Amino acid sequence: MKLLGGEGKTIEVLLVEDSPGDVRLTREAFRDADVSIRLHVASDGVDAMAFLRRQDEHIHAPRPDLILLDLNLPRMDGREVLAQVKEDPNLKTIPTVILTTSAAEADIMKSYELQANAYLSKPVQLDAFESLVNSIKDFWLTRVKLPQRPDG
Amino acid sequence: MVVVNQTGDIVLLNRQAEKQFGYSRDELLGQQVTNIIPEGFAERLIADDLRSAEDALEQQIGTGIELTARRKDGTNFPIELMLSPLTSGDTILVTAAIRDITVRKKAEADLLQTVAELNRSNEELGQFAYLASHDLQEPLRMVASYTQLLSRRYKGRLDTDADEFIAFAVDGASRMQRLIEDLLSYSRVGTAGQPLVATSSEAALEQALANLDVAVEEHGAEVTHDPLPEVLADEVQLIQLFQNLVGNAMKYQDSGVPKIHVSAARDGERMWDFSVKDNGLGIGPEYLEKVFGMFERLHRRDEYAGTGIGLAICRKIVERHGGEISVESQLGEGSTFHFGLAEAGSS
Repeated sequence: MKLLGGEGKTIEVLLVEDSPGDVRLTREAFRDADVSIRLHVASDGVDAMAFLRRQDEHIHAPRPDLILLDLNLPRMDGREVLAQVKEDPNLKTIPTVILTTSAAEADIMKSYELQANAYLSKPVQLDAFESLVNSIKDFWLTRVKLPQRPDG
Repeated sequence: MVVVNQTGDIVLLNRQAEKQFGYSRDELLGQQVTNIIPEGFAERLIADDLRSAEDALEQQIGTGIELTARRKDGTNFPIELMLSPLTSGDTILVTAAIRDITVRKKAEADLLQTVAELNRSNEELGQFAYLASHDLQEPLRMVASYTQLLSRRYKGRLDTDADEFIAFAVDGASRMQRLIEDLLSYSRVGTAGQPLVATSSEAALEQALANLDVAVEEHGAEVTHDPLPEVLADEVQLIQLFQNLVGNAMKYQDSGVPKIHVSAARDGERMWDFSVKDNGLGIGPEYLEKVFGMFERLHRRDEYAGTGIGLAICRKIVERHGGEISVESQLGEGSTFHFGLAEAGSS
């Protein structure tokens, strides 16, 4: 085990999100990170699984340290992505945080049943959204001890 | 009109009955009444082990009994029966006044259907309001976030016109966000309500004040209350009710220290009348009822911001709890909002 976010270490984050506006907002919010974060984006569930399994054009994709997953996605939705990640022995140790506009009790329950590591609702206000991204940085990418990358 | 003896034979009938049932008099005389009223009539008259014919009849006198009658052609129609005894010598006969209630039944059925359709369309409307406001939130979040980003990053770097335009866009977007949030909470009163259970109204008020603590501090408000009772309520909604009323009481103030007092007095056996009294601006007599309407606002936006939904939410919450909300006020003399809630343990 090693502490991520240490000197010179790049942290790989996979953001699975179909709205370009949200992608850019998240990027902006991560921009002033004091740790070195590389944000990769998959715009639907199929693309996310291809990235994680290094298929097709993702052959050189890094293994992410954290997945930020929206629930409502085209082609394959976030619940299915979550189920596949948590059933895959190679992927299931990657912390997967749900980041979605839904605050529905059913979505929260379903996500934890599928072994989500945390569930976060996207706040409506920009300030609150930025502060949420900051807490993700602070907790998941700084304080938490993550499992070592098998290939890293 | 049909007259029947104790064994259920038809002994007399009038022209009206002939017409109603489609038989001629001779065809019916001496026949069992079950031929024209298959169920529910004969059983009511005939003596059995438990009661005599007199007792049986006694129980039915004067009551309108709704039954199904059968015409000669086999078709059925709904009737209402009024029974009265007719003593003739030793025999007890029963006079049955028969009213064809086809029209009334159809009207009742139509009414029920109309009510069901109204309920459904009401529910659909509530659902629509919820979904529309929920789905509007998404694109609006983009507009609001990016205009805020523009304003933050480019303020003073374009020109004064640009700063002004961006400020209007930011303000419009955030007002629309408040409007949509309020619309959502209005529609949730109906759709996301919890069952009414015994709830401490005092704890609910304390929670509402805790939620308002920033505003209480900003206004330097003094909020006091009497001991408050246990009531039948949805706690989340009761907190929201107190929060809206106390929040308003602090907001609609000139410049003095807002003083707000919450109390409850018995109102009849099972009800409590709550009061939220303030020393604020007060409300003119012509607006006392109007303030509870959707989107009703009494002030310009630059005087007091608001969506005009807060008191509509209050009214919807109180009505869902089976009570009523009203306000007593005079301009410049403060306002007292009253609402009724049922005591815990009454249901």
